[in-house]
Amino acid sequence: MTSALPQMKKVRIMRQTLLTGFLVLGLMPPAVAGSPVQDSQPPSLLVKFAPPKLADIPDDANGKQVLYGRRLVMETARLLPDNVGDVLNCTSCHLGGGMVAGASPFVGQAAASYPRNNARAGHTVTLEQRINGCFQRSMNGKPLPEDSAEMKAMIAYFNWLSAGLPPHAKVEGAGIGKIDKSLMPDPAHGKQIYGAKCAACHGTDGNGLKDAKGNYVFPPLWGDKSFNVGAGMARTYTAAAFVKHNMPIAWGLNAPLGQGGALSDQDAVDVAEYFSHQPRPDFAGKAKDWPNGGKPKDARY
Amino acid sequence: MAKTHWLYAFLVLAATTARAAEAPAAGGMERGAYLARAGDCIACHTAPGGADFAGGLAFDTPVGRIYSTNITPDRETGIGAYTLEDFARAVRQGVAKDGHHLYPAMPYPSYAKVSDADIKALYAYFHDNVAPVKQANRPSAIPMPLGFRFPLAVWDALFLKEGAYRPDPAHDARWNRGAYLVEGLGHCGACHTPRAVTLQEKALSDRDGSTYLSGSKFDGWFAKSLRGNDRDGLGGWSEGDIVTFLKTGTTDRTAAFAGMAEVVQHSSQFLTDDDLEAIAHYLKSLRARQGAPEAPARTIQAAAAPAEDHPSRGGAAYSQYCVTCHRADGGGVPRIFPALAGNDVVETADATSLIHIVLGGGRIAHTMAHPMPFAMPEFTKMDNREVAEVVSFIRTAWGNDAGPVTVDQVAKVRATLGKAEAKP
Ligand code: HEC
Ligand code: HEC
Repeated sequence: MTSALPQMKKVRIMRQTLLTGFLVLGLMPPAVAGSPVQDSQPPSLLVKFAPPKLADIPDDANGKQVLYGRRLVMETARLLPDNVGDVLNCTSCHLGGGMVAGASPFVGQAAASYPRNNARAGHTVTLEQRINGCFQRSMNGKPLPEDSAEMKAMIAYFNWLSAGLPPHAKVEGAGIGKIDKSLMPDPAHGKQIYGAKCAACHGTDGNGLKDAKGNYVFPPLWGDKSFNVGAGMARTYTAAAFVKHNMPIAWGLNAPLGQGGALSDQDAVDVAEYFSHQPRPDFAGKAKDWPNGGKPKDARY
Repeated sequence: MAKTHWLYAFLVLAATTARAAEAPAAGGMERGAYLARAGDCIACHTAPGGADFAGGLAFDTPVGRIYSTNITPDRETGIGAYTLEDFARAVRQGVAKDGHHLYPAMPYPSYAKVSDADIKALYAYFHDNVAPVKQANRPSAIPMPLGFRFPLAVWDALFLKEGAYRPDPAHDARWNRGAYLVEGLGHCGACHTPRAVTLQEKALSDRDGSTYLSGSKFDGWFAKSLRGNDRDGLGGWSEGDIVTFLKTGTTDRTAAFAGMAEVVQHSSQFLTDDDLEAIAHYLKSLRARQGAPEAPARTIQAAAAPAEDHPSRGGAAYSQYCVTCHRADGGGVPRIFPALAGNDVVETADATSLIHIVLGGGRIAHTMAHPMPFAMPEFTKMDNREVAEVVSFIRTAWGNDAGPVTVDQVAKVRATLGKAEAKP
């Protein structure tokens, strides 16, 4: 008996609407789509999150490269089997192919905004290196050659998503959102939350769900087909922030995915602790992480 | 057609009892309570946050606001003083105890078919099992002279076919049970049968003609055809699909939305399997409406993802906004996200509901099968052109065979968004 009720009224009301025999409806002005404001912003300012539209990609060589990059992000496991060791795609975590605020969007990740500091690596990294970080950890795979057509296409896509943004602009909705890191996780409670709010899609055993053709529609959250312990998602508070702001999808009426809003910070921390600490592949290069210190408290090694 | 109406209005004066109308031993649920579920009384007679059956739900109408009434057994403000006869007259003929005519928002033309035995059980339930609530009815805000209820008596004389359901001897008991529930308490026709300018449903049963349950448009929604052989009706559905849908709110390919999600939530999910099977059996017996493409609908193949990245602007919008849930091949995810390929709501000639759900979002029914009711987000921020493009895309992709929609059609549906919701 929640948000559903008004609709029912609608159904009944039609009798009365029909009483008049007419629908007297004024036309509302069309909703104004989020317009880009980036050009007018000084570089240090927050920029509105306004990804461009795929429909506007021109049908030329650059357009084709951008679309190829997009396709690689959407179907990474299928198209790059040599580089992906699990069954995930970039879009499994960077939702909507990097077009969703709060799901570590690729909007604002133009090559020109790199190199950036990276405490885990102990030095600044280029965009290629950052992408390959995700290949080796989140995808439990191998780096993509930096001069490969695939890497170039992905970067072309990131650049297209960030076109017009000043290189060091801070995009609203960048990263994965905030979580209260002082909360202590309760994995037993997390297991309950998992059963109630996650298992319907990700499976009671965390194995995800495949369609009839064998493609994953819901990615696994643990096991040997999941990201490895070196991934950001293997860390309790990173996973908690992601889950709080992005999971479940189809929970609310908020565009684009109805994502997030179902869990309190504590619930998110609990469920994140539960699934991130289930068995998953090891990360061979883990000894080299955080060479200059600064290791976060939820690091796995 | 009109003749039939007149005949019924004059000839069928006394309620006849029908054997097919006997309620089943409803699995554990007390019979009157079961019937109240079947009739979905609670949906209209309960205000948001209010006590069950205490009324007060507002209906905004173009001529003013009316409120549903208190049907708890409170003697002063509810129906506690009603005798069985008073109750029967209100439910089946739309006449309150004091003689005033109820607005036809109360589906008494359908409830007229309820058997004496079921009326008795309903009466007993409302009298003995529903908690009395003292809550005065709110007067309607319909201005004079429309506030005169007198014209309603005329309306009733014209269109109310008094008389309980009479079984059709040409059909078996299961079919008749289904017909009784669909035409009577279920009042499916209230939304799914088109209405004439004078407001009455064009047909109250299949005997009145194939407009019965052939789909109807109102306030920015199109309630689909339920005719068992319409291609855009239930032609592609098996009886099992219909039962599953009414029980859970979803099938492997589709999901109830808007008003129907609430019907499933408040009413049909509680019906026994026998009753749901009877309903499905009856609906599947309805031949295609006159002039409609006849089923059998094609068997749905697993669709292929569009080969090109950029089949059209609409295709590009689809892969930007829809693909995470409805998938590149339009196949959705069984019981979680509706398929768009081979979905009759997507392919219905009247794209009103389709546009509405893209703009306004929706939520599947909250049922015992779906404790977590998944939602479709609202894409109000997409402009009319984008919506027209993406809706046109899904109506023609993957072998779907429906016409494109125009920017103008989208604008019209957008104008109805949120309009009908009354704020009590
Ligand atoms: C298992 C989840 C997961 C997958 C799969 C994944 N990533 Fe990531 N990625 C993350 C997380 C978590 C971060 C860090 C976000 C943060 O801390 O703000 C991140 C960060 C990034 C960043 C830096 C973003 C920033 O705001 O600094 C880039 C670029 C990136 N990923 C690219 C990719 C690419 C390309 C792929 C596919 C090859 C991919 N990722 C796959 C989880 C994932
Ligand atoms: C309605 C289905 C659904 C529900 C429920 C759901 N998710 Fe997801 N989840 C998804 C989808 C879909 C993706 C990947 C998005 C894509 O591939 O486009 C995803 C991705 C993820 C990811 C990143 C990818 C990976 O495999 O690690 C995590 C972590 C995650 N979900 C955790 C959760 C948790 C925790 C819950 C419960 C609180 C939850 N999800 C509930 C559908 C769901």
